[in-house]
Amino acid sequence: MLGWGALALAGSLSGCVEAVPQDVIEAVENIDRDLMELRAAEFSPNDYTRFAHQWMALKSRVQADEDLIRWPWEPNDLEIALRQLQEEGSHTVARLTKERESLRRSAEDKIARVEDRFRMMILQVSAIDSRLVLGQKPVETDLLMKQAHAFYEQGRYDRSLDASDRAAQNLATQAAVLSSELGRYANRDRISRWQEMAKDTVTWSRIHRTSAIVISKADRVLTLYRNGQKVLAYPVRLGFNGIREKRYQGDGATPEGRYRISSKRGQGQTQFYRALVLDYPNEDDRRRYRFGRKTGQIPTSRAIGGQIEIHGVENELMAQTLGCVMLDNPKMVLLYDRVDKGTPVTIVGALHEQNSVALTLAALDDRREET
Amino acid sequence: MDKRFAMLPIICALLILTACAKPPREQIEAAEQAIKEAQASGASTYVPDEYAKIEGTLAALKKEETDQEGKFALFRDYGKVEQLAINAKSEAERLKTEATKKKEEAKAAALQAQQVAQEAVKTTLELVAKAPVGKDRAALESIKADAEALKASLNQVQMAIDTADYPTAQTKAKAIHEKSQAVSQEIEAALAKIGRGKPSAAKKK
Repeated sequence: MLGWGALALAGSLSGCVEAVPQDVIEAVENIDRDLMELRAAEFSPNDYTRFAHQWMALKSRVQADEDLIRWPWEPNDLEIALRQLQEEGSHTVARLTKERESLRRSAEDKIARVEDRFRMMILQVSAIDSRLVLGQKPVETDLLMKQAHAFYEQGRYDRSLDASDRAAQNLATQAAVLSSELGRYANRDRISRWQEMAKDTVTWSRIHRTSAIVISKADRVLTLYRNGQKVLAYPVRLGFNGIREKRYQGDGATPEGRYRISSKRGQGQTQFYRALVLDYPNEDDRRRYRFGRKTGQIPTSRAIGGQIEIHGVENELMAQTLGCVMLDNPKMVLLYDRVDKGTPVTIVGALHEQNSVALTLAALDDRREET
Repeated sequence: MDKRFAMLPIICALLILTACAKPPREQIEAAEQAIKEAQASGASTYVPDEYAKIEGTLAALKKEETDQEGKFALFRDYGKVEQLAINAKSEAERLKTEATKKKEEAKAAALQAQQVAQEAVKTTLELVAKAPVGKDRAALESIKADAEALKASLNQVQMAIDTADYPTAQTKAKAIHEKSQAVSQEIEAALAKIGRGKPSAAKKK
């Protein structure tokens, strides 16, 4: 009787034991699914490869062991290994979820910071009319930021970060270009020389008891002196690349130097309402031009240019000139009537250290580290 | 009778030797080759998780082969190795097809985006060319620089396509298209604005 009971117990126990419980297999399969959803194979290939290798090794054992019947007291190494993989996999999923979220936040944060800096740079550069100094760089930055957004939307945060990083580098290059091209506006010696030039012009006006004009490019202001006294100051518009130092014909820059009015063109003699033609290029301009040609800074196909004028407005909607100094027509009339052929016109970059260009360069430099 | 008994060990030895299982070399090599081909077709890029698993299967297969080799010759059984090799080969072939399909889709999407971007840039450049020469052109100078930058960026799309980096090519092309449309709108607005003014003749400046 006892013998039959023992036999029945052993039989029922051995018959109920599965080789590997289905729940543990499903749990590992779920972990695999979670890792795939996390794009672990792309985002953290080493982690996923390790998991996949272990999973495939155990899976092959599961498939080979599936018809095996075990005694209940026999240790099931395969189940132990699967439970271990389940535990390790769960940790990996938790860690990668955290890391991925952190990467997502980094990408989001980087996009926001670079875009903010880019926006600020556009505003600052636009305020000092130096967009053209940057050439194709702003568009490159814009394209990189669009890419950073696209990769972010696709969940490719590493690529998004890479694009934002390159955009940030591009912005740093732009700041460096501005600093190199417009650095003279922040150069104390250069500003002193400009101040000296302006002072000489005012002194000349006082000594010769006549008119003289000083134009500050950074301030975009034309000041008329009479007998050494300031008579009027008008806002002006410059060339489309006016903030730069004029180097050759067609560069859109407004020249800096000491000039004189070589001729006056009244109504009907100019398309720009009234015009005061300057004697650009002077000897300094020619010397700089020759040097630029010699050193290859100026393309050989480019001439030195000319016809630089202080003139009125042909089209009210026009914001910039090709290198001239433009005044509103009512102000142009007042100026025109107060100057003569031979009146000195001194055009300088800036008259004080805290000029708009220097302040912009300093602001850009401050923000360079932020991205 | 003695002679027959004397032959018994030799017969047993022969039986053992002939019964000794050998690794399914041909199937293993076929699986390895199929995995290499899947990799070459871009499986590690386009189906990375499945490719990692197939590599895992290959590693399991090799371990099983090593385990069997470590056993006494009579107890070796390469049945599992063979089954794994067959599965790995068939899975690798599936991955190759899948990766090739995904790669082709990515390439087609990149080429399509490139074409759209090229057309958008062409339109932008045509608009720039329409702008009046002379004084009025000044307002369009920065836009012109943008258009030139977009044109130059198209080369980067081609470079990404040449290196089979289709996701980069596609996102770059889409960015160019988007920016190009914005620049075109800007030009049209500028043209409408300055179009009201009289175009000036080009002159020395």
